Amino acid sequence: MAALPRRIIKETQRLMQEPVPGISAVPDDTNARYFHVIVTGPEDSPFEGGLFKLELFLPEDYPMSAPKVRFITKIYHPNIDRLGRICLDILKDKWSPALQIRTVLLSIQALLSAPNPDDPLANDVAELWKVNESEAIRNAKEWTRRYAMDN
Amino acid sequence: MTTEEYDTEMDYSDSDCGDPGYEDYYNVHPWDGEGDNDIDNDQSRRDPEYAVYDCLRIEEVERLLNEDVESLSNSLHITPSLAKVLLHAHNWALQDIIAKYRTNASSLFINSKIKPLPPLDSLSGLKSQRSGLCSVCVAIQSAEKFSTLTCGHSFCKDCWCMHFEVQISQGISTGISCMAQDCNVLAPEDFVLSLLTKPNMRERYQQFAFCDYVKSHPQLRFCPGPNCQMIMRSKEQRAKRVMCSSCKTCDLIRNCNNFSFRCGIDYHAPTDCNTMKKWLTKCADDSETANYISAHTKDCPKCHICIEKNGGCNHMQCYNCKYDFCWMCLGDWKAHGSEYYVCSRYKENPNIAHESVLAQAREALKKYLHYYERWENHSKSLKLEEQTLEAIKMQINKKVMNYSGTWIDWQHLFAAASLLTRCRYTLQYTYPYAYYMEPGPRKELFEYQQAQLEAEIEDLSWKIEHAETTNRGDLENQMDIAEKRRVTLLKDFLEV
Repeated sequence: MAALPRRIIKETQRLMQEPVPGISAVPDDTNARYFHVIVTGPEDSPFEGGLFKLELFLPEDYPMSAPKVRFITKIYHPNIDRLGRICLDILKDKWSPALQIRTVLLSIQALLSAPNPDDPLANDVAELWKVNESEAIRNAKEWTRRYAMDN
Repeated sequence: MTTEEYDTEMDYSDSDCGDPGYEDYYNVHPWDGEGDNDIDNDQSRRDPEYAVYDCLRIEEVERLLNEDVESLSNSLHITPSLAKVLLHAHNWALQDIIAKYRTNASSLFINSKIKPLPPLDSLSGLKSQRSGLCSVCVAIQSAEKFSTLTCGHSFCKDCWCMHFEVQISQGISTGISCMAQDCNVLAPEDFVLSLLTKPNMRERYQQFAFCDYVKSHPQLRFCPGPNCQMIMRSKEQRAKRVMCSSCKTCDLIRNCNNFSFRCGIDYHAPTDCNTMKKWLTKCADDSETANYISAHTKDCPKCHICIEKNGGCNHMQCYNCKYDFCWMCLGDWKAHGSEYYVCSRYKENPNIAHESVLAQAREALKKYLHYYERWENHSKSLKLEEQTLEAIKMQINKKVMNYSGTWIDWQHLFAAASLLTRCRYTLQYTYPYAYYMEPGPRKELFEYQQAQLEAEIEDLSWKIEHAETTNRGDLENQMDIAEKRRVTLLKDFLEV
C-alpha cells in the first residue's frame, strides 16, 4: 500500500489531539483511511441522548474527492436513508479539497439539528416530516431510544 | 427481341422526350436531391422541411469556434482562454457579451465566474501562501510552487494538478472551479493546461472542453449516429430535417440520420418537439399496453387463419383464401379504393361527456390505442422497407439477367422506394400530432389530408411491389401524387 499522504496524517493527529466536542473519530487499526466515528445527538433535537455510529472512508484521491460517510446506527431522518447514506451537499457537488474530516463531521452534526425535508433522501420520512412534523419527531425520538441508546 | 424488351425501350424514350434538357435529365426527381447543398433557391418555398445546414468535421468546428474566440479576445483585450469562458457562459453570443462588457465589465466577469464575488470571505488560501503552507496537502513549500486564480486562493501546483486530474476523470472540464470552499471562480483553459502534466490528461481535457463548447453553441449539434464524429451547423430557429453526410455514406439510402435540429430526437414533422416528447413518454409509460398491442399477427377476417405482416403495404391478400383486406381495419379492401380512406381516422365518441369515469377511461385508452397502433404500424413498415429494398435489388438483378430491360431501366424503383420511405416517415409522425389535436374543423382537415396521403402511399407501395416494365409511367405518376400530398400536408400544418 502506498504511503499515507501527509495531509491524512496531519488531520488524524489533530482529531486525536483536539477532538471536536460531541464527535469522536478513530482510525481503524488495520486501515488508516477508515475511521470509526461516533456522533452524539445534538441537544434540543429529537436525537438528543443518542450515540450514533458512522463509518468514514478516505478514498484514494482524497482530498480531491470527498470522504465516503455512512450512518451505521439506524436513524429516522429525512436526509438519511435506510442504508445510512447521507444527503449532504459538501459530500457531493459542493466538496472542496480545502474541507476536512473535521468540517464534514461538524456538518453532519448540524444536519441532525436541522433536518431539511425539502431535499430528502428517505422519501417517506421526509413526507411525514412535512405533513405531520410532530409525529415525525415522535418517530425520530422513538428510533433514537430504540437504536442509539442501548449501548 | 421480346415484347417486354421492346416495351422497355419505348418507355425509356417516352420519358426522355419533352424533358427540359439534357443536363436536367438526372435531376428530374426533386426527392433525389435531398441533402445536397446546390438545390435551387426556391427550395425552401417549395419544401417546408428544407433547411440550410452544414455537416462539419471536428477540425472545421474548431476553426469556427476559434474565430469567435479570437475576435472576442481582440475586442476586449483579454486572453483567448478568458474569451472561451465568456463565450461558453453566454452560449457564444458574441455581440451580447461585448454589449454587457460595455455596460458593466466587472459584473460580466463576476457572473461568468472569472472574478470572485466582491467580499473575499474565505482568505485561507491567501494566508497559506505567506506561511508557505498549502492547505490541501499541508506541506510547506517555496513561494514559486504556488498558483492562484483571480480569487487569490493559493494552493501548490501539485495539488492543483491533482484536483484537475480528478475532475477530468469525472468528465468535468470547462466547469472546474477553484479548490477553496464556496469559491466558484472557474479555472480557464490556459491555467489548467499550464499545470496539467500528463499528456493523456491534457488530451482528455481538451476533448471534453470541445464537447462542452459544441453543446453550449446554439447553432451546433453532434450527430446522434453511433460513433459518428460529424457536427451539424444550422442557423435555423425552427426544428428542421438535417441529415448527416457522413453516416449516410455508410448506408446509401436508409439509416441516414434524420434528426430534428432543435431537440435531437429523430426528425418528426409535422409534430413539434414538445408534443413529440410528450408522446414518446406516453408510449414508454404504456409499455404494458404497447406490448399487448404490438403482437405481430392478426387473423384473416374471412378464414381466420393467422397472418404475419411481412411487407410494408396495408393491402393484404390472405394466402389461404385469397381474400383482399385492409390490415388496419380488417375490412374488405374494395371499400378502400375511393379517396376516402377511413382507416386513418379516429372517430371521437360525441356522447363521451355523459358517460361514467370508467367509460371515459376506456374511451381514452381506445383513442390512444387507435393512434398508437397506426404509429407503431408505420414504424414497423419502415423497418420492413429495408427488406423491401433488398427484394427490389434481387428483383432487378433477376430481370436484368432475364434480358428484361437493363439495370439503368430499373433504377427508378429505388427512387420510388426512397420516396415511399419518406412519405411513410412523415405519415408516422402525423399520428402523435393528430392525437394531441383538439377536435374541430382543423383536426378534420388534418385527418382528411392524412387519409389522402395514407391512401396514396398504400397505392404506391403496392405498385412498387408489383412493378413491371410496362407501368413505369403509372408508377412515376403515383410518386408525384404521393409527394405532393406529403408536401401539402406539411405546408398546411408545419408550424414548429
